Amino acid sequence: MRVIDLALKDLLQIVRDRRSAFFLGVMPILFTFFFGLVFGSSAEGDPRLPVGFVIHDESDALSASSQTLLEASDAIRPVLLEGNDADSAAESVLSKVEGSVRDGDLAGAVIVPVGFGEQALAGEKPRLTVIVDQNTPAGQTASSAVQAAMTRLLGAVETARLSAEAFEAREGFESEAARRAYLDEALALASEAWLQPPLTVAVEQSGAAAEEGEEISPNVYTQSSPGMIVQFVVFGLNASAMVLVLERRSRTLQRLLTTPITRTQVIAGHVLAMFLVVFLQQALLVAFGQLAFGVDYMREPLAILLVMVTLALWVASLGLLIGAMSKSEDQVIMWALMAMFVFSALGGAWFPLDVTGKTFAAIGHLMPTAWAMDGFQNIVLRGLGLSSVLLPAGILLAYAVAFFALAVWRFKFE
Amino acid sequence: MKVLDIALKDMLRSFRSGFALVMMFVVPLLITGIIYSAFGGLGGDGGFDLPVTRVQVVNLDQPGPQFSFSFGQMLVGFLQDERLAELLQVTEAADEANARAAVDSQDAGVAVIIPPDFTTAALAPEGRASITLYQDPTLTLGPGIVKGIVSQFVDGFAGTRIASGVVADQLGQRGVAIDASLMQEVAMQYGAWAEALGRSRGEGAHPALDIQPPPSKTEPVSQGAGMMGPIMAGMVIFFAFFTGASTAETIIREDEVGTLARLFTTPTPRAVILGGKFAAGFITLIVQVVVLMLASAVIFRIRWGEPLSVALVALGLVVAAVGFGLFIMSFLKSTRQAGPVMGTVLTLSGMVGGLFTTGFQNLPAAYDTINLLTPHGWVLRGWKLVMAGGGVGDVLLPVLVTLGMGIIFFAVGALVFRRRFA
Repeated sequence: MRVIDLALKDLLQIVRDRRSAFFLGVMPILFTFFFGLVFGSSAEGDPRLPVGFVIHDESDALSASSQTLLEASDAIRPVLLEGNDADSAAESVLSKVEGSVRDGDLAGAVIVPVGFGEQALAGEKPRLTVIVDQNTPAGQTASSAVQAAMTRLLGAVETARLSAEAFEAREGFESEAARRAYLDEALALASEAWLQPPLTVAVEQSGAAAEEGEEISPNVYTQSSPGMIVQFVVFGLNASAMVLVLERRSRTLQRLLTTPITRTQVIAGHVLAMFLVVFLQQALLVAFGQLAFGVDYMREPLAILLVMVTLALWVASLGLLIGAMSKSEDQVIMWALMAMFVFSALGGAWFPLDVTGKTFAAIGHLMPTAWAMDGFQNIVLRGLGLSSVLLPAGILLAYAVAFFALAVWRFKFE
Repeated sequence: MKVLDIALKDMLRSFRSGFALVMMFVVPLLITGIIYSAFGGLGGDGGFDLPVTRVQVVNLDQPGPQFSFSFGQMLVGFLQDERLAELLQVTEAADEANARAAVDSQDAGVAVIIPPDFTTAALAPEGRASITLYQDPTLTLGPGIVKGIVSQFVDGFAGTRIASGVVADQLGQRGVAIDASLMQEVAMQYGAWAEALGRSRGEGAHPALDIQPPPSKTEPVSQGAGMMGPIMAGMVIFFAFFTGASTAETIIREDEVGTLARLFTTPTPRAVILGGKFAAGFITLIVQVVVLMLASAVIFRIRWGEPLSVALVALGLVVAAVGFGLFIMSFLKSTRQAGPVMGTVLTLSGMVGGLFTTGFQNLPAAYDTINLLTPHGWVLRGWKLVMAGGGVGDVLLPVLVTLGMGIIFFAVGALVFRRRFA
């Protein structure tokens, strides 16, 4: 009972502090909502990346085909921009397009020069200009999608040329106009065929939910909601660690030792309070994620409970360690901030580790937070069940034991 | 000189505080450093070092006795090409169930399942086939790369079929006799063209595309540096505003502990005391901004831009941060209020100002306009212009707006404090 009394006292102290409410609840909800708002609104309607498409000569035979093939892409959508064949105006259009790509308003731009179609169909090798910043993930995606669409366009041109050659070798064209009409028809047929090619690549997502035909649509929150939970439970522990530091500074810890309570019970009481704070914070954020952001945590309640409990155990141990190491309130905030930044960024709470470099990803997966993210995503994204979180939960538990041992070793009552 | 004495005392206090130093210098560099390591810094030359995607491929293709080749086997060979080894780690699975199980158990990121009728469908006039990519839904980059590579291969065969179909259609419509040798010739010519194109793309050059980066007046030293500039700018701005608010918080702290009241008993005008506080914030912020810029230029190789423009934008930032800090603190009564209010206001204004999304592309266009509702957004715009090579003329508007905002915030904050301590 003494342990519980001590934990309740800590809880009361934390709940009464307005700063705690801010860091435990308001900040994570605000951040999750913000990232969802920003990225959600960008994904409204057509979620494909916008790529500027400039045609300087609308009568060009290839213009319509190239636009059709770009439209068919599942990664990019062409945004038709006004072109002009006058040299000075063309330069102005180019400069405007380059500015839009540089500023990130467009993921890239394709500029079809005057006479492109004529030259291509005549067997020459004209070149399209693609403006894209390949140093950015969006730019890389746009570049790859534009290349794929333009390769199909060139395939259509080659098809038209081969067909015209075959006809010419057998029948011959009556006039240049007839030849041109034949080429245009071939081009249109080939472009249309590319919209439904005979050989395709289909993507299926793994996971139990996919197998059962259940739809788990990854929304913008399936990364940000668990990510912000992991980030702010780490930072939220500063409120609990602060209680410990204040008790040490005011010598309350020493006074406690004059009572029949044992040292173990004192530590257990504080850890229990930290565990409860982190667990309740997670419960609030999980409920908010489920109800407000549509992240389906509750599809596997037992599994989510296991992840939450083991994450709370590790974070409570970390909190105890920070409380043991810190001599002042400032130090608690400092260590909690450091822990938050390092553990959440390296552990994939800010961005998925698979989009980072391989060394970073390897280091990141050593973090307990990476295993917590795995546990959450096994449920909300992979649609897996209890067995899928046993390994992440086990590793979190091992980390909790290690951190707890370290904290007890460093713990001083005075 | 009293102004300087007060300023010096406050600055000493700031620079002796481990917490203040961490918030001023360590945290912004730490956050940028982590992002730098994630996306640009661990690739040796500053380039991005793509993670290798583990791929399980299962070839179920059964071409039939009439074919002496298998397109499925060719695809397996293509994926196992040593030139792709830096991107893909390909293992052949015994069957489809094993390949899917490998992805389910996260031993592989993607399974490529080549259907039994792949070769037959590729060659039959009406045949259709689909290669299945079975992927881990938590992965984004790796499966995208695999899809691009497989699609490139598949498009070569699909194009041959389309070419044959178009030739047959057009000649047929015009009553021209079509024989097998013609179709074979068309298929071979298209195949040769597609192979040459693939070879050219494999060597890194597209035969018909000039791929250019958007021009910047200043070239970044490396890929990582180019990406890190705006991220570091966002961090500098956020933590400069934090320092501005923390410096102003000393007025409330001194009021609480009674040193401010004691100061008022001396023959020091209130304007001088406030001036000292302002000077402390101003100088501390200049030190912070200069140190962060120099450190990031050395560590992350960020080129901040033309010195005079950089100095102007930095000046705007410092004035805006000091003014904004004083403005917020003027409405608070205790240091207990200061923590959460400072956190909320700085976080919200940082969000609205676009400081936390500097590394993201293709945000809604309206967000750029919303950014400019805050001084943070104007400073960020100034930094972006400077880093893109903008000169004094280019950054004049954002600098004037930030200076104006800073002065107005400072004036209001000073007025409130003067009334409070009158």
